[in-house]
Amino acid sequence: MPRVLLIEDIEDNVLLVERVLTANGYEVLHAPDGETGLQMATDERPDLILLDLGLPDLDGQTVASQLRRAPETARIPIVVVTAWPEETARQMVKAYGCNGYISKPIKVATLLEQVASHLR
Amino acid sequence: MALAPSDNPLDLIPASKFTLKELTTIYNQTRVDYLVPMPMNIAKMTEYIHVYDVDLENSFVAMHEGQMLGLGMLGVRSGRTWITRLGVLPTSRRHGAGRALATALLEAAERLGIRFTMLEVIKNNVPAHQLFLKFGFYEVGELLILRRPPGPPPVYPFGDAQWFARPEALALLDSRPGLPPWTNQTESLNNSTNIFGLKVTLDDGGHGWLAFQQGRYVLARFVIHTMQGDPATVGRALLAHLHDKYFDLDTQTENIYVNDPHLSAFYEMGYVESFRRIEMYR
Repeated sequence: MPRVLLIEDIEDNVLLVERVLTANGYEVLHAPDGETGLQMATDERPDLILLDLGLPDLDGQTVASQLRRAPETARIPIVVVTAWPEETARQMVKAYGCNGYISKPIKVATLLEQVASHLR
Repeated sequence: MALAPSDNPLDLIPASKFTLKELTTIYNQTRVDYLVPMPMNIAKMTEYIHVYDVDLENSFVAMHEGQMLGLGMLGVRSGRTWITRLGVLPTSRRHGAGRALATALLEAAERLGIRFTMLEVIKNNVPAHQLFLKFGFYEVGELLILRRPPGPPPVYPFGDAQWFARPEALALLDSRPGLPPWTNQTESLNNSTNIFGLKVTLDDGGHGWLAFQQGRYVLARFVIHTMQGDPATVGRALLAHLHDKYFDLDTQTENIYVNDPHLSAFYEMGYVESFRRIEMYR
């Protein structure tokens, strides 16, 4: 079963992602902030990371840059979740070596499509 | 000038009556649907209050029937105040809470005898922008928030570089002209930890300096100034030295004016725009 680490602080988004992904055959791990996310990514080595850009301790860009720097997590696909305008999101994804993005509010179809495409 | 008393039935309670946990919670709740929510934890809120001289006695939480609906904070420095963290729960907007909070903050500034107030509003946050225009604020400039992922600079460092510890770095700030945005004022850096400085002198005599904060993962709180020469070239030299030394750190620069003469150097070094703010005065 593919394992997805969700780094997200907003409870409603966590519930939505957990329900949708669990129902579609994924195991979901959850970290409520950036520091916990970095630790869990290193310890658990998930198959994919869903990363909210707005976190209460470290922001998403900092988390992404640390994930990319650490050998244990450098190759894990990262899909960012953001309410930013499309162009800004694209630029950040490229600059920080992430693999894709999902716009907020999260659409179920986009979530499943993004997760599936980066797990192939 | 006294502000008209509000008819709003909301209770406006000084933020000093609440715990930092409560203030952090209400702040995060007010911004949950923002394009750039910038959530905080208690440690970040504590640092924010300290670094930006937020006066909790003169900051307010809007309450209605025992429920927190919104928050507005007031930074206070010599001869100036700063409205910040103003927000209302998404479900409670359009009922006058934002206006009541802004009124309370401006009245507090008046009680302190300060008639000059600054603020920044996220660009495209139309309701907030409109609210402040109605209060008589006028636009001063547009500000950029830039990010740069870790990595070496794309150009080899050039010019003679001198690195400075905190006291010398803070002393550099005194040579700046004008009034920078609140976040970049001397007091903000003075209140911050791990401040360092860098001065570069070029072969053609051009020289300038950069003050910055070195965090665990991020370089931040940039103040950049060219004393002589072409700011784009001096800026390029400063940033090349900085990112050569700290190649493993992420970078965030906050509130750089869109017409800052160093801006091309930032883009050349791989910075990307996160979002923009509008600076306003009253």
